[in-house]
Amino acid sequence: MLAMSVTRAALESPGISSIRTLQRQLSALMPSAGLAGALSDGPSLEVSSSPLDLPRLISAVVIEGNALRARKVEPAIAPGFSAFLDGTQESRVLSYAHGMPLIHGKVAAVIRIRSDRRLATWRHTVAQRLYAPRRLLSAQWNATLDALAIDIVDVTSAPDAQGGAAVSEHPFAIRDAAIHSVQADRERVEHRLAEKWCDAEHEPLFVDGGISGSDRVARTANAVGVVKTHRTLYAEGDSLQVVFGLREGERTSVFRITSPKRTSVASWYLRLRDPSGRDPMWGLVRVEIADSGDTEAEIRRRADEVSGWVLAEVSPLALPDGRWDKMVYGIRDCEEFLRAIR
Amino acid sequence: MTTTNQSSALGRVVATERKPNTPHEFHFWTALDSPVGIGTIVRVEGAHPVNGQIPQIYGVVVEGFSYTDLQTPLHDVMGHDGAPGSASLAATERAEIRLYSAAVLRQIPEEPMQPVPMGQVFLAQDADVAVALRMDGYIKEGSSTGIPIGVYRAGGTDAAIYLDADFLIGPEAAHLNITGVSGLATKTSAIEWILGSIFTHFPEQKGSVAAVCFNVKGPDLCFLDLPADIGAADKVIYDKCGVPAGPFENVQYFAPYKSDGFSLNTLRSNEALLHNVSPLTWGLREVLQYAEVLLNKDDVDAKADALIDFIRERVVDRDFSDPMLGNKRYVVRSFADLEGWFRDVLSAMENKGNEGWRTHHVATIRKVRNRLSNISTRCAGLVTDDGAVSDLPFGSFQDRTVYVIDVASLEEAAQDLIFARVVTRLREHLEKRDLGVNHVIVFVDELNKYAPNDGPETYVRKMLLDLAERGRYLGLVLFSAQQFRSQVHRRVVGNSGTALYGRMDADELATPGYAVLSPAVKTKLASLEKGQLMVRHPHFTQPIFVRFPRPAIMRGRDGAERYPQAVDINLDAAVTRSLRTLDSSITLGWVQDAVGIRDEDEIIKARNATLRERPADVRKFFLAQLRPTVATQVVARPAAAVRSAPADDPYGF
Repeated sequence: MLAMSVTRAALESPGISSIRTLQRQLSALMPSAGLAGALSDGPSLEVSSSPLDLPRLISAVVIEGNALRARKVEPAIAPGFSAFLDGTQESRVLSYAHGMPLIHGKVAAVIRIRSDRRLATWRHTVAQRLYAPRRLLSAQWNATLDALAIDIVDVTSAPDAQGGAAVSEHPFAIRDAAIHSVQADRERVEHRLAEKWCDAEHEPLFVDGGISGSDRVARTANAVGVVKTHRTLYAEGDSLQVVFGLREGERTSVFRITSPKRTSVASWYLRLRDPSGRDPMWGLVRVEIADSGDTEAEIRRRADEVSGWVLAEVSPLALPDGRWDKMVYGIRDCEEFLRAIR
Repeated sequence: MTTTNQSSALGRVVATERKPNTPHEFHFWTALDSPVGIGTIVRVEGAHPVNGQIPQIYGVVVEGFSYTDLQTPLHDVMGHDGAPGSASLAATERAEIRLYSAAVLRQIPEEPMQPVPMGQVFLAQDADVAVALRMDGYIKEGSSTGIPIGVYRAGGTDAAIYLDADFLIGPEAAHLNITGVSGLATKTSAIEWILGSIFTHFPEQKGSVAAVCFNVKGPDLCFLDLPADIGAADKVIYDKCGVPAGPFENVQYFAPYKSDGFSLNTLRSNEALLHNVSPLTWGLREVLQYAEVLLNKDDVDAKADALIDFIRERVVDRDFSDPMLGNKRYVVRSFADLEGWFRDVLSAMENKGNEGWRTHHVATIRKVRNRLSNISTRCAGLVTDDGAVSDLPFGSFQDRTVYVIDVASLEEAAQDLIFARVVTRLREHLEKRDLGVNHVIVFVDELNKYAPNDGPETYVRKMLLDLAERGRYLGLVLFSAQQFRSQVHRRVVGNSGTALYGRMDADELATPGYAVLSPAVKTKLASLEKGQLMVRHPHFTQPIFVRFPRPAIMRGRDGAERYPQAVDINLDAAVTRSLRTLDSSITLGWVQDAVGIRDEDEIIKARNATLRERPADVRKFFLAQLRPTVATQVVARPAAAVRSAPADDPYGF
């Protein structure tokens, strides 16, 4: 069996400890700390918190033609993707120090490789850290945190938190900063895993989310990012209407996404399912591939090819996942795997 | 299919709160292409030692589950737009699981008995099978009491399965019952195979063993001594089990005559096979002991019973006289003698105007006369008027010999009589330890007819119950078969230490007796191939599926075609055939010359006596049984003088 033959990476974190283990250690080190309000069970902070990103529209440079247009795409006859990559994150309050939350974050990522229409694990990674506002804590608390068997991330100085801005003492601000940091860690383990794939394999990899966060991945032809969330839309005005007006099996023209901190990528919107009677985002994904500076014809050919691969993944459905209109089954399988090893 | 590396794990134990493991059941998953199926024996290796020992748990798969991550079937319909064909075009197949439930066969260490731990699951190998089924306790080199019953096969494992002779033939437990639908020849084949295995492997230290088989239908058991070709696959099983692939070496057949009194009433009547066929005939004395079998309760009330007792104790084989009957002395030895005795008693009562005689009312005497006289008619061919007896060799039974009694063509009453008397005699001799062997296996097919769960209490059923409950102490073992186990008396099947199941009818499987089996096991039972059995044995905590070979014995149907039944022949030819089994030089011409114009009864009596005595000089003995005939004398007719007519009287006045 393929699943049994792939190498599994060792867990990355030096001290994998469950949140309950950490709570026990903390109680032993600081009996007065108490665990009131800590959430080791129930929904994670990601589930219970509202989205952190504000919705926004960004214009992008169209590199296929002069303006954003809808184009019909034929699904690929044979599946193009050989593997799927997805990651998860889970944040929970470990304890409160001086009323400020200490947050346990766990991130994981997996690549599931497809062989004979069945998915098996290629490699996976699990890491966990404790996110704390160290600058706002007493020396005693900091000493206690240092004694815990887990890496500590100071959310008050973490570059990912709050975009580098100072974090206030408001517990919600600390919580949001921690979630940002956890999210950044998740992206990091995803990128690292994707890079390993790009180093070792030449077959196309379906990445859940964007690929521009990793220069190595964003420049590799065999990595395809598929974004399901659209808090940021790369279209404005008429272009936005083109995006919303996409019918099932249609894509937009290719445009370039650039960012000071990220590698430029070529991207386009693709409608996976018939949106009739649904919201405008129904079945809408945004695809990212390497911006290789090819000719327009080559960009078109490549966008049609990759779109065909993505459309070929619409079956089987990712139900019962609520995002099944945009999620392909391979990504759901990754999530199931990560849920199983949680 | 995955190549099974027997040393690598094929599954992992799983347990959830909703589906926990217990000391008697556990669950495990396998790869999709694993060779596990219902009936597969597996071994679990625990991860944590208990009392310093890593637990080893053996189980047999009793249920299987398969499912995907679909939440509802509707999702799949939606995913393929209602077109089932498009499912095969999908780039990815849904995640799927093969989940099995296994019933625990054995835990090592046995104490403390704990729920099955998480661990790796391995396919049981030969040695594992022996441990799992506790066979390691009785198949030890040098002191084995194992009787091979077939092989267990799964994923490359090919292990012989042994029953414990102490629990099959006694004294610990005994008896074997086999059930299954008719028409597959599984039941008969299985019994033939097991008898062969017992004759080969029954331990010498446990003594001798013979089998008495009642052939109750068709030619099933009529050719046990004739070989048949078997396939290579069957030969492998014979070799694995160490049983020679051949027919029984010693078989003796017994069959009553037809109503004509001289043709054997069996499908094994072909002249080429008569060398080991003996007639089975009984006289008045033998039958009267079992009058209860033939006479129902309406026939035999207390008064009639008393008269029958009187006849049995005071009349039959006694020198009997009575003042009412004058000076005549009676020695009643046959039904004919008894009829004469009844006739004289009744006419004497009539003559004297008596209503009763020796406390017996005339109506009772008439009734008993009627019923007893009727027996020789109902059991014609078996019961002889002249009292001739030809019986099984009680007292000189031979080790490893099969005695087949063909009752297939007999009336039910005659079948019951034979069954009751033979089994009773076997029991009597075993009690006295003078049967000739230490153990006798009695094979009865159609048990639901002889020991039904409902219906009136019969002598045969009572006797079967007694045999099932007490026979093992004597060495009298019941091997029984039937189509519907649920229709057999519970105490008979319940006392069978070993139970075999061939392919079963779905209706039968729906009866409460099979409630302990999982739906999957029932499904497997309903579709078992010929040559497969499910076995329950006291040492096996769960039923096990085994394969047994086709017996290397000519099938009844083949035998009947190859050795067709003898056509009805006249008395002279029948006598010739009978006597030729003792002296092959005897010809039809000699017999015709010998018997001349004697009546049938006399010829049959002479034939029976010859067969019974088996003399060295058959011709001389047979002739001696016939009444001498007066030599033919030519008597010269006296020449009468011819009177001449008087001259004066031309008319001779």
